Amino acid sequence: MPRIEFSGVTKSYADGTQAVADLNLVVEDGEFLCLLGPSGCGKSSTIRVLAGLEAVSEGMVLADGHRIDHLPPQARDCAMIFENYALYPHLTAFENIAMPLRARRLPAQDVERRVMEIARMLRIEPLMARRPSRLSGGEKQRVGVARALVREPAMFLMDEPLGHLEAYLRVELRAEIRRLQERLVITTIYVTHDQGEAAAVADRIAVMSAGRLQQVGSFLDLLDRPLNRFVAEFIGEPPMVFLPVHRVTADSLAVKDVQIRLPEPLAAALRATDDCNLTLGVRPNDISIVTPAPERLNGEVVLVQPQGGHAIVGVETSAGPATVVVPSDVRPAAGTIVGLVFESEALHLFDSAARSLLHSRGEGGGG
Amino acid sequence: MTVARIRNKAPVERARQPAGAWPIGALRYLVAAVFTGFCLFPFYVIVTTALKTETNIFAWPPVWVFKPTLQSFYNALFVFGGRGAISYLINSIVISAVSTFLAVVLGAMAAYGLARFSFAGNRQLAFWILSTRFAPPVAFVVPIYIMVQRAGLLDSHIALILIYTAMNLSLVVWILRGFFAEIPIEIEEAALVDGYSQLQIFWRVALPLVRPGIVSMAILSAIFSWNEFLYAMVLTQSRAATLPVYLAGFSNSMGLAWGEYMAVGTMAVLPILVFTFALQKHLVRGLTFGAVK
Repeated sequence: MPRIEFSGVTKSYADGTQAVADLNLVVEDGEFLCLLGPSGCGKSSTIRVLAGLEAVSEGMVLADGHRIDHLPPQARDCAMIFENYALYPHLTAFENIAMPLRARRLPAQDVERRVMEIARMLRIEPLMARRPSRLSGGEKQRVGVARALVREPAMFLMDEPLGHLEAYLRVELRAEIRRLQERLVITTIYVTHDQGEAAAVADRIAVMSAGRLQQVGSFLDLLDRPLNRFVAEFIGEPPMVFLPVHRVTADSLAVKDVQIRLPEPLAAALRATDDCNLTLGVRPNDISIVTPAPERLNGEVVLVQPQGGHAIVGVETSAGPATVVVPSDVRPAAGTIVGLVFESEALHLFDSAARSLLHSRGEGGGG
Repeated sequence: MTVARIRNKAPVERARQPAGAWPIGALRYLVAAVFTGFCLFPFYVIVTTALKTETNIFAWPPVWVFKPTLQSFYNALFVFGGRGAISYLINSIVISAVSTFLAVVLGAMAAYGLARFSFAGNRQLAFWILSTRFAPPVAFVVPIYIMVQRAGLLDSHIALILIYTAMNLSLVVWILRGFFAEIPIEIEEAALVDGYSQLQIFWRVALPLVRPGIVSMAILSAIFSWNEFLYAMVLTQSRAATLPVYLAGFSNSMGLAWGEYMAVGTMAVLPILVFTFALQKHLVRGLTFGAVK
């Protein structure tokens, strides 16, 4: 199982769009890495470049230190799962799964044995005689996973594999994919725009936006230590609240007239910069609703969305809109004026270039 | 009976529907039957005339019930004009089969290339291929005659095979290009990562998926080659002459030997009919449904 390395990879298309820009990323041997980002961020182009379906425009792709970006797809030993399944419509499920083995001219009894083995693993044995048109979405993707895994590939690439499935099937199948990956220890790259999915399956997550890699880390890393405003906003549900702030002294800030007390690392970071155009970021979970008071940031409740054990409350403050997650027993009514209090240990500050003051020092905002 | 039973079981508004639709449905069948009869009647006359004795052919009022005889077929095939129609029939079959095979095989490969690979002039090339059909074939008879004569291929099978292949090829390429372009690209990408080369993908994935297109183009090409008259007439004399040439000469030189004439006509229709029926089951559409969401 190889260690994959993207080194300065750029992918431009004939029409001039740059899908991936100067990507430097290492996927460790046997690791499960998620490429996460909004649509059009370059995550699909990245794995298509790795699979050999697209040529790199610049840079290198290496597997265990050897360049593979000039190899044709069939020489790279990548297995791929497609969002729209891409099964062979004229072949039965059995023959679909057998195709990669037949490409390698395996003897018939080995093909039979390995196809049935993987079919058993994915519990699709009864479907083996059916054509894809007679399979449901979940069954099709199981066949797709089986086809990818049957030849024990060096890498396992998945391009939004669960995108077309219903919610309950997504949860079931992603757990299954993760189990299989752990059992087979295959280097895996999984593309998704769904952070819940990424959090559930990945060892590490690489967040991309507009063709550029923003940050790589575990889900909790990304949640607690976002390098920039994009990651802070994209990761976490509901999204982080951003409020414009201005400097009061060298190491204190205010939102409108309301003084914000900063914990020491953040105050130190603030002292180290002379940037005046700062934004405060705070997670909706780290805001609490209290009674309004002049020394607090107050606002009107505009929307209450009850969830399971909690509610999401929209508050319109003088500094801008804020979202607050509250326990269901303190659910305020729409129209009431409330005060907001921030958990000071959980504050984030972003400079005028949208970099996190606390976490991006010395890291250059990328890689 | 049936209507009453349905009424007992189904809700009232459901039950009324078949009863109300009955005369309309029957009318539909009647119109369809009359039209079908109208279309098939000439064919019926051809076949029955071929099976009648000469006395029965000219009998008035027409004889509807008679003892069929194969004498006309025998005469037409082996006796008339010294050696009969059999060699023309064989020429027609050979020339149609080979030119159809070539047109479909070469056409499928060209169409796949045009549909799947982007290269400079791709679209212009596709249009140029179709444009070869723009002018009426008669416009090229003289130049082609001279070319064939210079090549020493007058009255040869190969001349007609090449010309028919060229004529069919443009349509085959143009139509199959559309069929290939409809295959979701992910299916072929899946085959690429599964370890197949582009050529293997063409044979094992793309070609089976456009089978309905291949079959319909084979039928159309075969019909065209089988029925083509102009070039066959101009370029052949006897050795490579096809059935339409024989039929045309038949009415002139033999007077009106109706029984034999109709026997040849029947033989001219049957092979194409058999070919079309044999391939018809492959004309199922929608094979690609369900592969990709």
